[in-house]
Amino acid sequence: MLLWLTFLPLVGVLAILLAPDRAGTQRGIALLTSLVVAVLGLVLWGCFEGGDAAMQLTTSIDWFEIALPAGHVVPVHFAFGVDGISILLVVLTAVLMPFVVLSTAGHIDKRFKEFFLWLLVMETGMLGVFLSTDLVQFYFFWELSLVPLYFILGIWGGSRRLYATIKFFLYTVAGSLVMLIAIISLLYQTGTSDISELISRAGGLDPSQQAWIFGSFALAFAIKVPMLPFHTWLADAHTEAPTSGSVILAGVLLKMGTYGLLRFGIQLFPEMALSYSGLFLCLGAAGIVYGAFLAMAQSDLKRLVACSSVSHLGFVVLGMFALTEAGLRGSVLQMVNHGISTGLLFLLVGMIYERRHTRMLDRFGGVARVMPVFAFFFVFTVLSSAGLPGLNGFVGEYMILSGTFLASPLWAAVAVTGVIFGAVYLLVATRRVLFGPLVHEENKALTDLGMREIGILVPLCVLALWIGISPNTFVGKTAGTLDQLSERIHQIRADDARTAEVSLLEETR
Amino acid sequence: MSDLKTLFDSIFTASASLATAPILALGVGLLLLLLCDIVTPLRPARGLAFVGTLVVAAILQARVLFANSAPGLVLDGTFLADPTTALFGLSFLVGSLLAWLYASGYYDEERVLATEHDVLFLAAPAGMILMVGAADLLVFFVGLELLSLPLYALAAFRRSRADSVEAGLKYFLLGAFSSAMFLFGSALLYTAAGSLSLSAIAEHGLASRTALAGIALVTSGVFFKASIFPFHMWVPDVYQGSPTPVTALMATGTKAAIFGFLVVQLMPLLPPSAAPMIAVLAIVTMFLGNFGALVQSNVKRMLAYSGVAHAGTLLLVVPGFLAGADPAAASRAALFYLVAYLFTGTGAFGLLALLEADGERFTSLDSLKGLAKRRPAIAAAMTLFLLSLGGIPATGGFLGKWFVFSVLVEAGWTGTAILGVLFSVVALGYYLRVIVAMYMEEALEGEAAPTTNRTGATAATAVCVVGVLATGLLPALLLGPLGS
Repeated sequence: MLLWLTFLPLVGVLAILLAPDRAGTQRGIALLTSLVVAVLGLVLWGCFEGGDAAMQLTTSIDWFEIALPAGHVVPVHFAFGVDGISILLVVLTAVLMPFVVLSTAGHIDKRFKEFFLWLLVMETGMLGVFLSTDLVQFYFFWELSLVPLYFILGIWGGSRRLYATIKFFLYTVAGSLVMLIAIISLLYQTGTSDISELISRAGGLDPSQQAWIFGSFALAFAIKVPMLPFHTWLADAHTEAPTSGSVILAGVLLKMGTYGLLRFGIQLFPEMALSYSGLFLCLGAAGIVYGAFLAMAQSDLKRLVACSSVSHLGFVVLGMFALTEAGLRGSVLQMVNHGISTGLLFLLVGMIYERRHTRMLDRFGGVARVMPVFAFFFVFTVLSSAGLPGLNGFVGEYMILSGTFLASPLWAAVAVTGVIFGAVYLLVATRRVLFGPLVHEENKALTDLGMREIGILVPLCVLALWIGISPNTFVGKTAGTLDQLSERIHQIRADDARTAEVSLLEETR
Repeated sequence: MSDLKTLFDSIFTASASLATAPILALGVGLLLLLLCDIVTPLRPARGLAFVGTLVVAAILQARVLFANSAPGLVLDGTFLADPTTALFGLSFLVGSLLAWLYASGYYDEERVLATEHDVLFLAAPAGMILMVGAADLLVFFVGLELLSLPLYALAAFRRSRADSVEAGLKYFLLGAFSSAMFLFGSALLYTAAGSLSLSAIAEHGLASRTALAGIALVTSGVFFKASIFPFHMWVPDVYQGSPTPVTALMATGTKAAIFGFLVVQLMPLLPPSAAPMIAVLAIVTMFLGNFGALVQSNVKRMLAYSGVAHAGTLLLVVPGFLAGADPAAASRAALFYLVAYLFTGTGAFGLLALLEADGERFTSLDSLKGLAKRRPAIAAAMTLFLLSLGGIPATGGFLGKWFVFSVLVEAGWTGTAILGVLFSVVALGYYLRVIVAMYMEEALEGEAAPTTNRTGATAATAVCVVGVLATGLLPALLLGPLGS
C-alpha cells in the first residue's frame, strides 16, 4: 500500500506525458491522481495504529548491496514504512495536494504539461522522504524532491526567479552533500542502512563520531527548515515562487527539514541531541523572535508570510529540542498546523495578487468592504496562525511552550514574546489590507472570491478548526512512537544524572 | 621451427584465445572494413561491417565475463582478463558504438574519408581493451599508442577548420611528450627490476631511487592522459577543437581506459606514502576543473573543464585505496563511476554534436536559451545528463560519486571526502546554468531554432538515457557480475 501511495503520482506523470498540452486536461489528470493519493492517504490514516511505536505497514524490496571490508555487505532496500513521527506528515502531503492542484487555475498560465509533471514528481519525492525506512533510499528521495521545485520556481516564478532558484538549490545541496558523507560514514560503521536497525546501533558508536555525524545531519536539516543563520534563501524562494509552489514549500517541503531533525537528529542520536539541545533551543527561540521582527519590517505581504514561517518553524525546533513529551508532541502537531495555516495564508495572498497584481501592503486598505468573503477567510487564517485558542495554532504552541518550560524556562520565556510579536505583525497586516478607508481607486472594483476558491479554502479551514477543538484525534496517532522516544530520552537523562551524582560523591570523598 | 610452434602453443592456450578474442575480432573487422572500401559493390555494407564487428567483439567479451573460470593472466603473464577487465571492455565497445552513432551524419563536408573515420574508430576500442588488461608496461604502451594514434587523426578530422587541426596537433605533440615520459619511466623500472612485468616490479619493490623515479614517470605519463593537474592544460583546447563525437569518445572512452589501467593494474604498485600527494593532486584537479568550468560561456568547453573535474573526483579512489580501503571496493567504485560517466558524457557531448549541425553557434550557452520549447526531447535528455554529471539521485552519476566517496570514508579520509562533495556544489552551479538557459529563459531575438534530426543520434541518445537511469536505479545489474 505504501508503495502505491508513493508511486501513484508517477502513474499520473505517464498519463500527463501522453495527454495533449491543454490546461483543462492536464489539470484534470493531476487532480484525479492527487485525489486518489489523498484517498489512499486517508485509508492509511484509518489503518494506522497510534498506540504502536514500531514502523507499520512495512514493505521492502532488495535494491543493491554495498560491499564492506572482510566480506560483509550492507544490503540496501527499497523499504517503506510509517510510524508516529511520519504519519501526520504523510497524510498532510496527500491531502494538501488536490488543493494545490485546484489553486493553479488562477496563476499557472503557460506550459501546463511540464508544471503538472513536476508537481506530481514532487509529490512522489515528498512522500518517499517521509515513508523511507532505509537511509540510502531516504537520501535518494530527499534529493529527488529538490529538482521539481527548482523547475517550478525557475519557470513559473516571479521576476527575480532565477536568482532565487539558484540560491535555493545551492544552499540545500551544500547541506545535503555533507549529509551524504555522514550517511556513508554511518553505513560503514554500523553495517546497516535500515533505519530501525540504525537507531539501535548508532548509540554504540564512538562519541566523537556520533558528534560529527549528528552535526552533518543537523546542518543539512537546519538549512532545509530553515533555522536562523540559514534562513535567507527562504524569503527569496517564497517571494518568487508561484502560489502553488509557495504552498508546497511551506506546507510540506520545509517539514522535510524538521522531520529529518526529529528522525535523524533526535531519534538516531538522543545522547547528542541532549548534549547540544542548548544550542538548538537558543537557535529556535532566536528564530522565533528574529523571524517575527523580520516579518514586522516587510512591506510585501508574501514576504511577510515567508518571514513568519521562519518564526513558526522556530517553535517546531524549540519544542523538539526541549526533548520532553509535551514538546515532542507539540512540535509534530505544529508541523501540521504550520502546513495548514501558512498554506492557507499563501493561497489567500495568491488570490488577492491574481486580482490586484501587487502584494504591497500600502496598495491595499478597506478591502473587507468589497471582498467580505475574502476578509472572513483572511481573518480566520490569521487568527489560526497567531494561535487563537480554539484554532489549531494555539494547541501546538501551547504544548511546545509548556514542554519547553520544563526543560528551560529561559528559552520558553523568550519564545513567549514571539507569540506576542506574532500577533502584532499578523494583525497589523490584516488591518492594513482589510480595514480602514478604501483609498485606492483600483481596490473598489475587486471581485470577491468565486466558488472554486471558496471550495479550496473551506476544507482547510475546517481542518484547522478540527485540530483546534479535538487535537487528540491527531496527537493520538503520534503517541506510541513519541512516548517511546521520550521514554528513551528520560532514561538517558536519568543515567546522566546518576553518573554526575556518583562522580560528585567521589569528588567530595 | 617446431620449437617455435611448441613455444607458441604453450603461450597461446585456450584461455589466452578466450581472453584476446575481442581484440582479434576488432582487428579482423578493421581489415574487413578496409576491404569493403576497396570493393565497390560492398561499400554500402560498411556501416553493417562496423556495427557487426563491435557486436561480435562484445559477444566475445561477454564470454570472458560469464566464463565459468576467468582466464586470468595469460600470454606469459602479460595480459589479464577477469570480470572487471571484461566489464571495462564491454563499456569501451558500447562507448565506441555510441560515439560512432553520434558521428554518423556529423561531417557533411568530409564525406570522402568516411571509411578512414570508421577504421580509426574501430582501432580505438582495441587499444583500450589492451590497456586495461595490460599486466606488462610494454603491452600497455602498445595499447596506449593503438588508442592514441587514431585519436590524434580523429581530433584533426575536420581538416577545413583551423581549431580542429590545432586540436589534433596539440594532442599529438603533448601526447607524444607523455608517451616519452612513460617510456623513460618504464626503462628506469626495467633497469631496477630487470623486468617490465608489473608483478615482477611489485615483487622487486620500489626501494631503489631508480625504481621510484621510474614509477613516478610512469604515473605522470598516465596522469597526463587522464588529465590530472599539472598535466591537464591540453584538455579544454583539444576537447573544444575536436569534432564533438570524437570529443565524446576521448572524454569517456579514453578516460575509462586510462583509469581502468590505473586502478586495476598500476594502483597496487604505488607506495602508500604517495596517498597524500595524490589526494592533493586530485583536489587541485577538481578545483581547477570546476572553477574553470564556472566561467565558460561555451557549453562544449564547459563540459571539457567538467571532464577535468570528474577525473579529479575519480582519482580520489587511489588515495582511498592506498590508505587502506578494500581493493575490490576501490576498483568497483572506479568501474561504476566510469560506466555511468560513459553514458552521461557521451550523451551530453553527443547532443551538442547533434545541435551543432545547425551551426557552430549551438554550442554557446546563449544559443541554448529557450531550447525546451523548441526541442523538448533534446532539452529533457540534456537535463538528465547534466543532472547525472552533477550527481543528483536516480542517475548513474549520483551512485558513481557515492561509491567513490564511500572508498574515501572507508579509508578514514572523511575530511577529504567532504572537501570533494563541496566541489560538487560548485559543479552544480554551472550545470544548472545550462538547464536554466534551456528551460527558464526565452530564446534570443532572431535566433533560428535548431532543426536537425538524425536517426543515429536519436538511437544513441535513447541508449544513453536508459543507461543513465539504469545505472542510477538498478546498480545491481552492473555490480552483479562482479560478485561480492
